[in-house]
Amino acid sequence: MVTIIIVLKSIVIGALVGFGVGAGAARMFHAPNVQGMGAFRTFGELNACAGDPISHFSFGLGFLFNSWASVVGAGALTQDVDHRVIPNWAAAILLWKNKNVEETLHNPKRMAFAGALVGVVVVTLLNSTATAIPQSMQLVATKVLVPAANWLINPIMPIVFWMAALDAGKRTGIWGTVLGGMSHLVMGNAVPGIVLGILIGKGLDDSGWNRITKTMVVAVALLFVLSGFFRAFDVALLKSLQVEIPQWLVELHETFGSAVKK
Amino acid sequence: MNELQAKGFWYSEWAFALFVACLSSGIFAGTHLYYVYHVGAFNDIAIVAMLEAGIKGGGYGAAAAFGASFLFARILEGPLVGILDIGGSLQTGIGIGVPALMLGAGFTAPLISFPLALTTGAVLGLAIGTVIILIRKFTINSVNSTFGADVMMGAGNAAGRYLGPLIVISAIMASIPVGIGATAGAAIFYYFNKPIAGGAIIGAMVLGAIFPIPTQ
Repeated sequence: MVTIIIVLKSIVIGALVGFGVGAGAARMFHAPNVQGMGAFRTFGELNACAGDPISHFSFGLGFLFNSWASVVGAGALTQDVDHRVIPNWAAAILLWKNKNVEETLHNPKRMAFAGALVGVVVVTLLNSTATAIPQSMQLVATKVLVPAANWLINPIMPIVFWMAALDAGKRTGIWGTVLGGMSHLVMGNAVPGIVLGILIGKGLDDSGWNRITKTMVVAVALLFVLSGFFRAFDVALLKSLQVEIPQWLVELHETFGSAVKK
Repeated sequence: MNELQAKGFWYSEWAFALFVACLSSGIFAGTHLYYVYHVGAFNDIAIVAMLEAGIKGGGYGAAAAFGASFLFARILEGPLVGILDIGGSLQTGIGIGVPALMLGAGFTAPLISFPLALTTGAVLGLAIGTVIILIRKFTINSVNSTFGADVMMGAGNAAGRYLGPLIVISAIMASIPVGIGATAGAAIFYYFNKPIAGGAIIGAMVLGAIFPIPTQ
């Protein structure tokens, strides 16, 4: 009885999640003119499969085994279901019939419905199967795919975005370098910072210092300050400079629920 | 702007809020499944473990602070770069941070009831989507510049090409048979004009099934 309830709920959840992920992923290909939703790694990986349905399918399959092991072991689906399995399988389904990525992978409507279909199948399957998957498949996922994907995120993607920023002109190169380095320090990955650098640099090239570009710089500064605070970068910085952490800062962190380790 | 509107509903700004609402609704309901049946949370083991620590009575502070800070940073970042990171904002923020805040405050109803979980997620998602669209309106959209979209797209395309070789190298470092499989698969896919990442994965999986990777 419990299994049936889980299956029914999973169908609803899978459809909702798949619909959103599919539409968001297709919209990423039109960013930043259209607001997309997903992740830079998803974007890079979708591009890596270059519109080939078999590649999209096998990439998703590899991570499905990983998620399967995780859900059987701990009840956690992993972030890969939304980041990798659903977008890649939705792409694979659409590309099977039509190899033109403009009409398939880049189309939010088609990706939303394909994503919903994949979401229903994948989420229901993962949540309802308690049987373990073959150990050997799980090992390929964790020992081969996970390290490769991690390298792509760091350092490959930061380097490629960095080079693109440097090649796009002096202003973009400087903003990209400074914000990229700071982003790697504060947020753990340089890509968001470099993208912000390209955004500001190109914005300045095109329209100079006006209300919009000034607002953006302020927003970016705010983003760095708040990210730094919530990730306790301020404390780590003071510590690495051998500076005593002031009591008010410790208390400030405590009010937001994060305990500062001495 | 006119060109964007001409592309219709699926590319429109307010449709984005709707998509975020769908996704958050599903993710929040996934956490409901986890809370009630211990299965189906949309996040990695390490992050779900923080919520689990709270459920087991260890306090929700860690999960709440972690999730909320991610949510906040990603909402600011999303409209500026054009891609909302669903891992940080929705899967961790809405899926872990918000439930931890609610449970920490003794507010369990949205996590016990499935319809209420769906509604809560949808409302939160709608709010996040709207905030993002509003930030966009006051920054990116009100000026006549592409803000280097071409540069970013070029970099995104270029970065993807690296995945194939990375998988082959990773497979070779995992074990000899898997490495040979990945290499052969990549070569075969390249010959047939397919992206080599797919061939490398299939090759690694086939050989990995016959000769399992040793665990040290």
